[in-house]
Amino acid sequence: MKTTSFKLLLAGLGLALLLGMPQASFAKGQGGDSAAATFVQSMGNEALTSLTDRNISSADRAARVRTLLRNNFDVPTIARFVLGRGWNTATEAQKAEYQKLFEDMIVKTYTKRFADYSGQAFKVSSASPTDNGDSIVRSQIMQNDGPPVQVDWRVRPKGGHMKVVDVVVEQISMSQTQRSDFESVMGSSGDVEALLSSLRARSSSSGGMSKKH
Amino acid sequence: MFSATGNSKTRLAQKFLGLTLCAFLVMGTASCAHSVDQKDGYKSGMRDPIEPFNRGIFAFNNVLDIAIIEPVAKAYNFLLPGFVRDGVTNFMHNLRSPLIVGNELLQGDIKGAGIATARFIINTTAGIGGLVDVAAAQGFAYEPEDFGQTLAVWGLDDGFYLVLPIIGPSSLRDGVGLAVDSYADPVRIVADNTDNDWIYYTRVGLEGLDTRARYVKAVEDLRRNSLDYYAAVRSAYAQKRQALIRDEAVSPTTYDAKGKANGGGADYSAQIPNY
Repeated sequence: MKTTSFKLLLAGLGLALLLGMPQASFAKGQGGDSAAATFVQSMGNEALTSLTDRNISSADRAARVRTLLRNNFDVPTIARFVLGRGWNTATEAQKAEYQKLFEDMIVKTYTKRFADYSGQAFKVSSASPTDNGDSIVRSQIMQNDGPPVQVDWRVRPKGGHMKVVDVVVEQISMSQTQRSDFESVMGSSGDVEALLSSLRARSSSSGGMSKKH
Repeated sequence: MFSATGNSKTRLAQKFLGLTLCAFLVMGTASCAHSVDQKDGYKSGMRDPIEPFNRGIFAFNNVLDIAIIEPVAKAYNFLLPGFVRDGVTNFMHNLRSPLIVGNELLQGDIKGAGIATARFIINTTAGIGGLVDVAAAQGFAYEPEDFGQTLAVWGLDDGFYLVLPIIGPSSLRDGVGLAVDSYADPVRIVADNTDNDWIYYTRVGLEGLDTRARYVKAVEDLRRNSLDYYAAVRSAYAQKRQALIRDEAVSPTTYDAKGKANGGGADYSAQIPNY
């Protein structure tokens, strides 16, 4: 029995060598991608230093989140994508109100998240190009309690700046999930007003969780 | 579910065959599974023709989760130290190895089958019966495979979204896959043949608890941040399955290398148009 399992172990190790150990091969120096990686890492560092400050008021934290969001994310593009087919039927006034409510919602979510910060570390691991000229920057959030969380950032060069257009947490795109969420609220008729009233209710409530499942 | 004894086993097998055939027929007709946005050509989620029924089950699951499952998962996280919970996760992953190897082979993924085999051998021996994932440190990351993914590799689409009682989000294809995996699972077969059904049920329960406990924060987030929690979960499930089918969802430690090996596969992110 002992020799058999030892042989198996050797076989396994032989197999391991045969298949070759995966090699970490990022930072290949592709200009745009390494710039995108640097951009995401410095944004993460800035967020962890300025947004997690325990000595600031909730309003101050929200203001800081908003500034960081506007500087580093292409919020209008994300908002438009997330509205899905609603964008085609919305009036200009509805679009304007929606853009504002959408930004408020993100600010609110992340203000709470950074207020709850409990010492997670953030580390960019690699960056690779996409077909359309964006870069995907991969990162891990190391938690004190629990396994690391894989977070990927779709970064797009825009007007001389890098802007995040999507955040993917454990292979789940936040933009896409939100889009499905919003499309469901609008229903098959694309009722933008229904979505706006939901967002307004969310915006004025403090905890804000819908009752509809 | 499949605690067959004696001749009820053959009946179960027949039921299985029937269910599987039926599922294939239905899937054959449900070829147009995704709705495509006319304006930006964007594919959205999973078809959901039985949405009212699914919402009913989902609401039931949600009540059960809030009342019992989530509090138990939180207590589990709070009471047990991280290394013990990691041990449980690793042990559960290791027990899945035979199923994973089988599915990798059915998918024609010889390398994947080799990695899963190496993981099983290394972790069962050097990893003390699977409690420690030493293979991951050697570059062999855990990669979940199941028969639903195998069916997808064989070319079947998901059919439609299906919420299962207690188990939660699934699809017609993945539901059939789950049934086949449960039936073919060596742990279940051994437990059944030795009249030790409790082993199997303990394993199912512990595996469920382990998974739910690791998703406590994610579920809280999605509940809090979505307007229609049901639609958000459906979308998240569809995306996660797509990533698993493309073999992108490997554990973070070796994600970069694997991503490169897949040619930098970046298509799991939403294809946000340049407006």
